[in-house]
Amino acid sequence: MPISASAKLALARTGVWLLLLLLWELAWRWGLPQYVLGPLEILKHFFAALGSRELYGHIGASLARALPGFAIGAAAGIALGLAAGVARAFDRMLSPLIFLTYPVPKIVMLPLFMLWFGIGDLSKVLIIALACFYPVFINAYYGVKVTPTILVWSALNLGARQSEIFGRVVVPSALPMIFSGLRVSLALSFIVMFATEMINARSGLGHLIRDAENSLRFDLMYVSLASIAVLGYAGDHLLTFVRGRVLVWHEQPA
Amino acid sequence: MRFALIGVVALAWEATARSGLWSPLLFPSLERVFNELILFFSRSESLLQAWVSLYRAFAGFALAAVAGVSAGILMGRSRFLASLLDPLFSGTYAVPKLALFPIFIFIFGIGSLSKVALVFLECLYPIVIITYHGARDVNRVLLWSAQNLGAGRGAILRRIVIPAAAPHIFAGFRVALPVAMIVVVITEMISSADGLGYAAMYALSSLKTDRMLAVVVVISLVGLLLDWMLVNLRDRLVYWEKLDTYYV
Repeated sequence: MPISASAKLALARTGVWLLLLLLWELAWRWGLPQYVLGPLEILKHFFAALGSRELYGHIGASLARALPGFAIGAAAGIALGLAAGVARAFDRMLSPLIFLTYPVPKIVMLPLFMLWFGIGDLSKVLIIALACFYPVFINAYYGVKVTPTILVWSALNLGARQSEIFGRVVVPSALPMIFSGLRVSLALSFIVMFATEMINARSGLGHLIRDAENSLRFDLMYVSLASIAVLGYAGDHLLTFVRGRVLVWHEQPA
Repeated sequence: MRFALIGVVALAWEATARSGLWSPLLFPSLERVFNELILFFSRSESLLQAWVSLYRAFAGFALAAVAGVSAGILMGRSRFLASLLDPLFSGTYAVPKLALFPIFIFIFGIGSLSKVALVFLECLYPIVIITYHGARDVNRVLLWSAQNLGAGRGAILRRIVIPAAAPHIFAGFRVALPVAMIVVVITEMISSADGLGYAAMYALSSLKTDRMLAVVVVISLVGLLLDWMLVNLRDRLVYWEKLDTYYV
């Protein structure tokens, strides 16, 4: 049976990855430092932790910070980005401030937010919202800017009102870019969530990894690492799935 | 007019600070922040903190730039390498690499090396992925013409692939450079005894809010300066293609 070129490629790829994993496992058995675990060992600890209740508490605490922060930042980013893209006066007022503060690492505001809003969850949620705001704003803004003028003209010609043009022409044509902004922001929300929890928290995956580090529980470090990896991966895929549902008309870029 | 909102924000801040509603420990006036900023630039220790952060960010970024551009171009020119590495990079893209930091501390120690390693890893992703797309989508007519004119593989790489991918390469750099600064500041806030992130946390724990805000301003200035330098370098090297993004 002849094998197609792409199947051969996939076979070779899988082979190389399995070989690397095998080498890692062998190196671990042969004797790596204590803080590097083998792949099978990590899987074993991860599934053991999935059976315990403690891990779900940490995951819940982490998600309770990341998701509201993401939602607030994304909503504000979409609303202001669309507004700045449509209204020129608003654009001229707001955009210099946004683009000037864009390359600034937002996490440096965490100490100040801790002073203002306390060391609890509020300061963490707000800093996550601030970090998530920027990519969504910029993508929504450019999404409006790249709306084909001819579509707007056609709608005008057909007698559409301003609000109809906004709702049925501008927003749909900005949606693909808004989704790429959301995708960046979702990944960012997990990073910032993890950072704030490592800096100061009493629960959550970032706290778990710090706690494990301090008590030299390497198995727990890898459990926390695996959990955040799974969460990040699942969140990204969920968002891509939703985008596929919402943007039925849009061809997915490779 | 363009900077009106920034002026309004600054005025509102100053008015709130002077109203006496909040303690200056929570809400210092801009004047005090400015004084601390001058103090920051006049003391050699604090300049050293800035240098340490800059050095870490730049070391990690430079390593990622070299490795990422090489890997991206190789992936763009070889279908086997692309099918091998692309699932790795796109599959773990959304995973926060920051979670590896505690393990990096054990492997590379608590000094600069673990931070540089994390900066390298975080910067690698955008550079590899964007360079890969640039190198993959090189205009075929150009490649065929070069081959037809008898150019070897090295010449094609140097004269066609790299210039054609250059705008993408710089786009990747521009995404990665702020990331480098972010990662350095985060790791210094989490565990460090020097650097700007540490300086901010230290000022906070001694309730010197004005000093902390001065550090925040310095970090922002460094971020803006790096971005400005990169854009200038890009405009010199990739002079044939205009950057179509918004600047202030």
